[in-house]
Amino acid sequence: MFTKNEIQQGVTLYTRKSEQFKTVSFSLKWKTALTEKAAAERSVLANILEDSNGKYRTQNELRKKLDDLYGTVLYMDVAKRGENHLMTLNVDCVNDEYLNGSNVLAETLELIHTVIFQPNLKDGQFDPSIVQREKRSVTERIRSQYDNKTSYAQKRMLESIRPNSAVSTSADGSLEAVQAVDGAALLEAYRSMLEEDLIDIYVVGDIDESMLVEKLKALLPFGAREKRKQYAFKTDQHHESVTEQRVEEQQEMKQGKLHLAFRTPVGFYHEDYMKMQVMNGIFGGFAHSKLFMNVREKESMAYYASSSYASHYGLLYVMAGIDAELADKAVSLIKEQLKALQNGEITDLEMEQTKALLNNSITSTFDSARGQIEVFDQYKELDEHFNADMLKKGWAAVTKEDIQKMATTMQLEIVYLLSGKETATDE
Amino acid sequence: MNKIHFENLQETLYTETLDNGLDVYILPKKGFSKTFVTFTTKYGSIDRTFIPNGKTEEVTVPDGIAHFLEHKMFEKEEGDVFQKFSVLGGSANAFTSFTRTAYLFSATDKVYDNTEVLLDFVQEPYFTEETVEKEKGIINQEITMYDDLPDWRLYFGAIENLYHQHPVKIDIAGTIESIDKITADHLYECYETFYHPSNMVLFIVGAVQPEEMLAFIKENQAKKTFGEQAEITRLFEEEPNTAAIPERTLEMDVTKPKLSFGLKCTNVHLSGEAMLKQELAAELLLDVLFGRTSSFYKEAYEDGLIDESYGYSFSQEYGFGFAMIVSDTEDPDALAAKIRQTIEETKTSWSITGEELERIAKRKIGQFMRSLNSIEFIANQFTRYQFNEMDLFNVVPMIEKLTITDLQAAFATIQDEAGQTTFKILPKAKEDETN
Repeated sequence: MFTKNEIQQGVTLYTRKSEQFKTVSFSLKWKTALTEKAAAERSVLANILEDSNGKYRTQNELRKKLDDLYGTVLYMDVAKRGENHLMTLNVDCVNDEYLNGSNVLAETLELIHTVIFQPNLKDGQFDPSIVQREKRSVTERIRSQYDNKTSYAQKRMLESIRPNSAVSTSADGSLEAVQAVDGAALLEAYRSMLEEDLIDIYVVGDIDESMLVEKLKALLPFGAREKRKQYAFKTDQHHESVTEQRVEEQQEMKQGKLHLAFRTPVGFYHEDYMKMQVMNGIFGGFAHSKLFMNVREKESMAYYASSSYASHYGLLYVMAGIDAELADKAVSLIKEQLKALQNGEITDLEMEQTKALLNNSITSTFDSARGQIEVFDQYKELDEHFNADMLKKGWAAVTKEDIQKMATTMQLEIVYLLSGKETATDE
Repeated sequence: MNKIHFENLQETLYTETLDNGLDVYILPKKGFSKTFVTFTTKYGSIDRTFIPNGKTEEVTVPDGIAHFLEHKMFEKEEGDVFQKFSVLGGSANAFTSFTRTAYLFSATDKVYDNTEVLLDFVQEPYFTEETVEKEKGIINQEITMYDDLPDWRLYFGAIENLYHQHPVKIDIAGTIESIDKITADHLYECYETFYHPSNMVLFIVGAVQPEEMLAFIKENQAKKTFGEQAEITRLFEEEPNTAAIPERTLEMDVTKPKLSFGLKCTNVHLSGEAMLKQELAAELLLDVLFGRTSSFYKEAYEDGLIDESYGYSFSQEYGFGFAMIVSDTEDPDALAAKIRQTIEETKTSWSITGEELERIAKRKIGQFMRSLNSIEFIANQFTRYQFNEMDLFNVVPMIEKLTITDLQAAFATIQDEAGQTTFKILPKAKEDETN
């Protein structure tokens, strides 16, 4: 679906001409091994590169320039996948065709070069006041996770089952690791991102592909680097057997946040990967799924009760918002649904519905430029000729017996409950 | 069928009002595989006092009923409607806002079948005392979930502060106490009043063939009979221009204090072009005063008064309107003071230049173009605009026409200190610091 051009060893450009959108979307992705230290440094670095650069020395100047380019969107973000840390420069500009006499695309390309190759250095150093400020921003981002009870519960659960692992490492690092970031570390992170990272560049829009490839080659003079696959998390390295953990924590809150994690050796790179996706869909991925129909609709116990498959870590999560006093009942209901799958209690209707919605979901994702980029960036690791039909074919071949087999690979590792303190009183 | 072509956007919109009063809009989008369909009634959480269809006396129904009704539409005698969509590969959903209830699906296949399910389930109510009772447990959990969301409480807290009477201050889902009073009869009464086709809009956008789709919808609608619909009478008490509560604090289990600063809009009985103009002018005004290129933003960010959670917005519907600025902040009082100072300075010496307006207008136009990549945005916004007699495809020409005088007029509607409020969420003092 993308035209591939390796512009240097380890630096690949993927372009896609499409008349679907009124904008041209760029994504530049830098990939390195995920460690808390690298994550913290790169999270702060991403903020610094987004703030200002050698040409637009303050955030104010850069933002005014973006306004002049009809609000070209430019931001950096960080993410993780498997054992990889991903830092992404995202840029979206309006197609000049819809504007009168503008030169937005050319100027946006220029700006992308500036952001990457002309950082805001003074005497070879990042401005300490900017470093301080952006360290504070990332620190606040990490701290604020406590306030979102669902994401806090999920984080605590992962820390309980996989401490010191990529599974529980945040793409922003940790408070301590961010605290330790200094100017020298940032310069080194910047150098390694330019010289050593695996780089994937994506462009989607109504573009002249060959012209753009030439332009980007000239504009982004990255050197060659060691070529490798992305780092895969080894999902078969789970321990032989494990006792089920039960962790309960409290905050001042009203609802109980029930989170469960099941492990499975079937991960993203496993041959049964697509079977597991269908299994997850029947278990709790949709509004017709077993969890929704039984925990929510039949028992009226929850507003949400769903599962999600973290294929890159060989884990499957269940989450439900419930009255904490009913936690035991909810857990046994959830276990019953899995048991049903393991016993092969799967209807033709469930199979049909789940495959139809998986098909709809992948096709829909491709209706946005970012969706195309994000999905392809992940699946090209399996097959660089990836397209949506490959998934659809894979799902179509999945049988009820496959679902049953997938369900039996799952082992419950933890039941985590975040709930209000017993002494809490309503305000 | 009417056909309207928008040259600058390269879009063509097809429209028709059916015999039963339903407004249908179809917007084909080149290159898209998915079709997104919304079926929306002009009925939301604020419509709590009204004269039921066919009656003469006004009633006030329990809070949260529009949302409750939305939930209950999905349950039929033969089972759950989601099941029907799933088998057709349709991803269905619904939402209730202050002024609208929307039912929707997106599908990349079997679009006609999915459309039929959508039209039929929304037009065939089925409520029993038993199913109504059963739903209460689910909605109680939904209410409790929102109660634990600090950012939702922050936003809503400022709205509660701003209004004396207007039901916009009542949570869309109601309270556990109010929904407990809801009966199947209530649901039928609301349904009969607000779900007549003449009070609804059907919007179809994406991979769609307009003539065929319209014929399909007409055939579906022609099979059904609908009762007489009197003009809907909604009743609202008079709302003063002042904020009901100037300042309020809530304690929650959060790590950092949060502030929301609300500014009540005093010009709220608008529709059509005048409403669109005020909305865009107010949004541009906020961009200039509080956006990322403003001196307010620069200073507040550098002083650590705001962080990445910072944001601002302008919201209006017929009968209410407000601007809102929110952020996590170590010093809510200093941040509130700085917002007030920015407004006072603008009051005493207007400093926004034509050049600045031009730059912000450019950004706004680009932002709008980008949002047209999203068929969900188009469907939801178009319907909202339609209910307010505004034209979504008039946004760019209107932005290009805006003058400093328009921004000044928008500023005049939110500048009065008596119409402003602060709402703070503070970390709960902990008895056990080691926890």
